Amino acid sequence: MNTTFILGLVILAIGVLSVAFVRPKTYVARLINLEIPAWGLLLVMLAYDEALAILTFVAVTAIGTFVIVRLLEWRDASC
Amino acid sequence: MIAGLEVAFGLIALAGAVSAALIRDSYGKLISLGILVAGVLPFIVDRGYLDVAVTVSLIAPIATIFVLMVARREES
Amino acid sequence: MIALYVVAAIAVFAAIRAIIEKNTGRKLPYANVLNFAVAGALVLLLDHPLSLVAAAAYFVGSTLESNAIASTYAGGVKR
Repeated sequence: MNTTFILGLVILAIGVLSVAFVRPKTYVARLINLEIPAWGLLLVMLAYDEALAILTFVAVTAIGTFVIVRLLEWRDASC
Repeated sequence: MIAGLEVAFGLIALAGAVSAALIRDSYGKLISLGILVAGVLPFIVDRGYLDVAVTVSLIAPIATIFVLMVARREES
Repeated sequence: MIALYVVAAIAVFAAIRAIIEKNTGRKLPYANVLNFAVAGALVLLLDHPLSLVAAAAYFVGSTLESNAIASTYAGGVKR
């Protein structure tokens, strides 16, 4: 099989397991671990030659990170 | 790509992913995420998607800076 | 062709050395070495005029990321 596809699947599995069983159970550690499977999924998309999908996915991941950071700051300020 | 270079950059990406999953410090996690991006980006360039590579390498630090905003808030 | 192997060897060494280091302040110079080596590998990997633009964009982005991490780790802007 292709090297990119295998590497993407391995990084995706590592990232999903690290998000599910995060070691210090804080929001920041889980948010940083959430970025790992995004890069694995990017490699899987790269193996299928989907250029426009990669562009959209990267932009939406950055916007989603910004929204979650805003939500965490608002929650820490309110409680 | 040459097989040796694929192994080398794949090893860098895999080491970055494993260490970002295992390190407990917040700044160490972000540095490991940078190592993961450095391992992934040569695979994008090798397929010929240079515009995708430019976009990814300019958006990835912005996401890191967003995470740093909440990491500094948590530390203090 | 030999330059590509030299740069890849430097990148692997810097990545391993940056991961096994315990202190966060000592991780940052090796992460910088890794970023410079990958920026050199990107421009040597493909014979295309736009490859230089991609390498320059990665150089700017990785330098910005490292400076942001180092500035926040050192305490940020004193207000």
